[in-house]
Amino acid sequence: MQRDSEYLLASSLPQSNASPPEGGEDRLGGSRDSSSFDESTLDLELSGEVNLAALEEYAQLQRSIFTTALVVTVLSFTLGALFVGIQFSISLLVGALSGLIYLRLLARNIGKLGKSSKTVSKVQLLVPVMLVLAISRLPQLDLLPALIGFILYKPSLALQVFFESRSRLSS
Amino acid sequence: MDSIVTAASVVAAGLAVGLGAIGPGIGQGSAAQGAVEGIARQPEAEGKIRGTLLLSFAFMESLTIYGLVVALVLLFANPFAG
Repeated sequence: MQRDSEYLLASSLPQSNASPPEGGEDRLGGSRDSSSFDESTLDLELSGEVNLAALEEYAQLQRSIFTTALVVTVLSFTLGALFVGIQFSISLLVGALSGLIYLRLLARNIGKLGKSSKTVSKVQLLVPVMLVLAISRLPQLDLLPALIGFILYKPSLALQVFFESRSRLSS
Repeated sequence: MDSIVTAASVVAAGLAVGLGAIGPGIGQGSAAQGAVEGIARQPEAEGKIRGTLLLSFAFMESLTIYGLVVALVLLFANPFAG
């Protein structure tokens, strides 16, 4: 409703400029112009605040996702070192860190969508390529644990969605 | 490595990446389109839209990554190489 009235106000002003009133009404028209300028400045400030709040919300979501992913990584590294072996857990850790880098790049590219780019870039896909190339070059790393570590970000995302829906239900 | 196994691995790697990228590509394109339209309509919901887009992209792009990993394993760590 408010948007409709703003739209109507914005569309009526060019008509008054196109056929300005005569005599003393001219000054009144000028004062209208200045008030509309103030309103548009106010609108820009409000939209800027909304934009900042939305960006902060997105940054907070990213922080919570990365915190969850770090916790899952540390847990899986510890469990792997305790129950399987140190080489397995090192490969798992390398894969999990690659997954975190991949997720960070993806989040950054999605943050740029609509502002500086029209599409989501695919640069983040270089991370699994580099991971598999590193595994094939380094004999200390195993393929399977590294790939399991790489997809450890998915349980973190699932946990994040679960926590978020639970907090929404409770509130 | 046997030449037939090499040729089959290279063809399979190309197919894995190419066919595996079709579906996620279409899905990501439509998701990004919907997100941009949603942000344009409701700028106050930009944070939530971007968050949902991040989650959906992460799950969609993993399908591409599976194909990519299979292709890279076939090329660089082929288990069928004698």
